[in-house]
Amino acid sequence: MELREETVRKMLRQVYDPELGVNIVDLGLVYDIRVEPDRVFVRMTLTTPGCPMHDTIAGGVRRALTHHAAGRKIEVDVVWEPRWSPEMMTQEAKEQLGFF
Amino acid sequence: MSRLPFLFIISGMAGFALFHAASLLSLSGWLGDDMRGPAGWFHAHLFVLGWATMLAMGAVYQLISVILQSDLYSERLGYVHYAVFTLGLAGLLFGFVRGEIYWIGAFAATAFAGILLFAWNMAATLVRASRWDAITVSAAAAVLYLVLTGLIGMAMGVNFATGWWNDLHDRLFGAHIWLGTVGWFGLLITGFSYKLLPMFYLAHHYPTSLRKAVTVLWNAGVIAGAASFLSGGGKWSVLPALLLIAAAVVLYNAHVVQIRKHRSKRSPGAGIKWSVYGNFAFGAAAVAMSACALWDPNFLSRTKSVTPAVWFYLAGWVSFTMLCYLSKIVPFLWWTRKYGNRAGEPGTPVMSDLLDDRKVNAGLAAIAVCTLLPLSGLMAGSPPIVAAGGTACSFFSVAYMMLIARVFSR
Repeated sequence: MELREETVRKMLRQVYDPELGVNIVDLGLVYDIRVEPDRVFVRMTLTTPGCPMHDTIAGGVRRALTHHAAGRKIEVDVVWEPRWSPEMMTQEAKEQLGFF
Repeated sequence: MSRLPFLFIISGMAGFALFHAASLLSLSGWLGDDMRGPAGWFHAHLFVLGWATMLAMGAVYQLISVILQSDLYSERLGYVHYAVFTLGLAGLLFGFVRGEIYWIGAFAATAFAGILLFAWNMAATLVRASRWDAITVSAAAAVLYLVLTGLIGMAMGVNFATGWWNDLHDRLFGAHIWLGTVGWFGLLITGFSYKLLPMFYLAHHYPTSLRKAVTVLWNAGVIAGAASFLSGGGKWSVLPALLLIAAAVVLYNAHVVQIRKHRSKRSPGAGIKWSVYGNFAFGAAAVAMSACALWDPNFLSRTKSVTPAVWFYLAGWVSFTMLCYLSKIVPFLWWTRKYGNRAGEPGTPVMSDLLDDRKVNAGLAAIAVCTLLPLSGLMAGSPPIVAAGGTACSFFSVAYMMLIARVFSR
């Protein structure tokens, strides 16, 4: 079954940072998505190094993609470089957080 | 997810409720009494150990891996620590109620053994820390001062039983209070806030050099104060320690302002907002106290000035800050336990769904106002104001804690 990067990105919008209440795509945490025949690969970061939500959010990514991956392995790589910065957020996220 | 932080945090919340229930029963009369009797010891140790230290230890277990970016040395040791410390504390408090010296001694030793287990676990964890900075140094120093506080407390207990060093008792008492309040609580709160405040404000690219200055000054103040008390130096030797701490508090507040200036999120939540107000109030009080002490060094030796200062520090800053952070810690703990393995599924609540921030704001505002009432009563030497203010403070504090506890039903 064909699975596109845009579709994966759309599914990842249902994964939220539970403290901020904003999804990880709009937060700018998703750096790279690759859909391959046998796996779906997501490279992402978190807002704070050592974030206590590390395992929870990575698990959320896997959970959001598993039912749609058509048997593909889900790989989540949490990286700390490049460091996340607030400028990576979408306008929607900035408005939601009252960014200034 | 580990149950260890839960044990300590729920026990701390229970200790808090018990303290305020006991205060309500005595109409806060104990506050105006001589603190150096069994009733005062009971209330003071219930507050300091049963609430504040218990909660602080739980927060340490929850956050240590975030703060240090290395895993806790031993979770099993943490459970043993909990059992030993809680048993010791319960027996100690019972001993104070009964006025039984040997009972107090035995269970104080047990509680101290619990503290040593905690210190061992933290030391082993800190050694593995990926880097040493103001956060790590503050955490390490805080634990060291906790151990020293307990050690001196044990020495005081031995003296009560044997009278071996009666001449030193007052010196030990001063050092015990100073190390525990300013050393353990002060460095733990400031150190952890260097990680937590930027997280909740979503602050980035802020300067960090002030943290080093705060850490150096605060430690210098703790050591100078302890040395002063232990040497029996009197008000003139305590004054430099007070000035060092006041300088540290002023710089700490300046750093908090720097973090706020670099925030990306308009509101960090009512709890964090009120914790910052508490920091500012503490800073103002520290400067005012320093000014009074410079004007009249006898200020530092009067019960009428020292008791309100200790109340303001412990209730107005230490405890209030913990209540503020509790509005983040408890929802985080509960959300992770109940909803963590549903993250990514549609309809999963977020943390703000577990606790109404407007109620947190109202609760903390009420506590802040009420904390000042017994303070003014103590300063005015008015037992009725102490009683009324303390009663109001206890009422709103219990109401706030019930609000927090309701998170566990969400």
